[in-house]
Amino acid sequence: MNASGHARWSEDVAAYMLGALEPGEAAEFERHLGGCERCRAEGRWLEPALQTLPESVERLEPPPRLRESLMAEVRADARPAKEPRRGWSWGWKPALAFALVILAVAGVAGYEIGKGGEEGGGGASTIVSRQADGITLKMVREGNGGTLQLVNVHQLPPKKVLEAWVRREGKVEPVPALFVPDRDGRAETTIADMSGVDTVMVTEEPQGGSKQPTGEPIATMSVPG
Amino acid sequence: MTVRREKAERLADEELMPLVGRKDPEAFAVLYDRHGGVAYSLAYRIVGDRAAAEEVTQEAFISVWRSGARFDAARGSVRSWLLSVVRNRAIDFLRSKAGKAPKLDFDDDSALEQRPAAERTEEEALRRETASEVRGALGKLPGEQSKVIELAYFGGFSHSEIAEILGLPMGTVKGRMRLGLEKIRGELAEGLA
Repeated sequence: MNASGHARWSEDVAAYMLGALEPGEAAEFERHLGGCERCRAEGRWLEPALQTLPESVERLEPPPRLRESLMAEVRADARPAKEPRRGWSWGWKPALAFALVILAVAGVAGYEIGKGGEEGGGGASTIVSRQADGITLKMVREGNGGTLQLVNVHQLPPKKVLEAWVRREGKVEPVPALFVPDRDGRAETTIADMSGVDTVMVTEEPQGGSKQPTGEPIATMSVPG
Repeated sequence: MTVRREKAERLADEELMPLVGRKDPEAFAVLYDRHGGVAYSLAYRIVGDRAAAEEVTQEAFISVWRSGARFDAARGSVRSWLLSVVRNRAIDFLRSKAGKAPKLDFDDDSALEQRPAAERTEEEALRRETASEVRGALGKLPGEQSKVIELAYFGGFSHSEIAEILGLPMGTVKGRMRLGLEKIRGELAEGLA
């Protein structure tokens, strides 16, 4: 990255770290960050300053009932360690493997449907699916399209992106817009045409995306017709 | 297998996280006891209401319980990760409350009604000392810089919203954010020297 290329972004580093960029700006900045060592170095330098902000607040004693309530929920949820998940054979006939994963995962991932017509206008609806590993998948449908939002997504390894897939009439199709999670684990993409889609899935793919899923899905959602 | 409380207490946060990922309540309890106070305090600083702060803190810790395996030690400490989860939840809470403005107590009158947390450990005492230095560092910033940082970090406002609130060009807001963070960083570096 040359100096003039960097200059355009240098003022954005602090704003990005403070979560003050608009979502579109943040996504654009993250793309730049991937190729700009100067911005990454500046971010690393400023990180300790950012981390001290939450430590600067006046301390309060949390009410004892908070711990009691929290631990009650945690103990109720506690269970023996899960068996390691068996590997998926995406390399071989990925479309078939996709279909099997859909059947397996969609069966266990519950979903809720909320009508947001009043706020969204035009009959928008929202589907939320909480995945077994902590990711929440949310589809906001409006008209013929929809916005897919993920929360609690892990940070991706270098040169990896998220790619969404839809299953329409039994055929798996990639969603053109690739996306990445922000530093808070939130990721979002748009699906222009949701007609006939019965399942949506997200996988981690190499930069530039793939024509077929190459890995285990990180999130899957059944879409009611 | 659940580790015994005494054993969990001897573990570093980074060693507790794999246990939390395997759903160990004792490891989680130790994590809460170490960081619950600052988490609740941060939530309160952002949402400005004790009941809401309680709700936000509970949601954040449950989120950590459910996604503990996602913690990546290479990207920072458990404490900073956990506090970022709390901050995000608190900002989401504010945004979900239509018409409810974030708490913007630049004069911080609320501090008068706050009770100090019990000082449990030497580590906590050190953190308080650090927090005091940080408050000092924030306090040393020109008001125009601390204001934009507080609006962004504790208020959840974007730079364009802050520009509108303060009647400033967006570039000025971003510049003040950068200068403010750089100054805090400089103060920390001087403290270490």
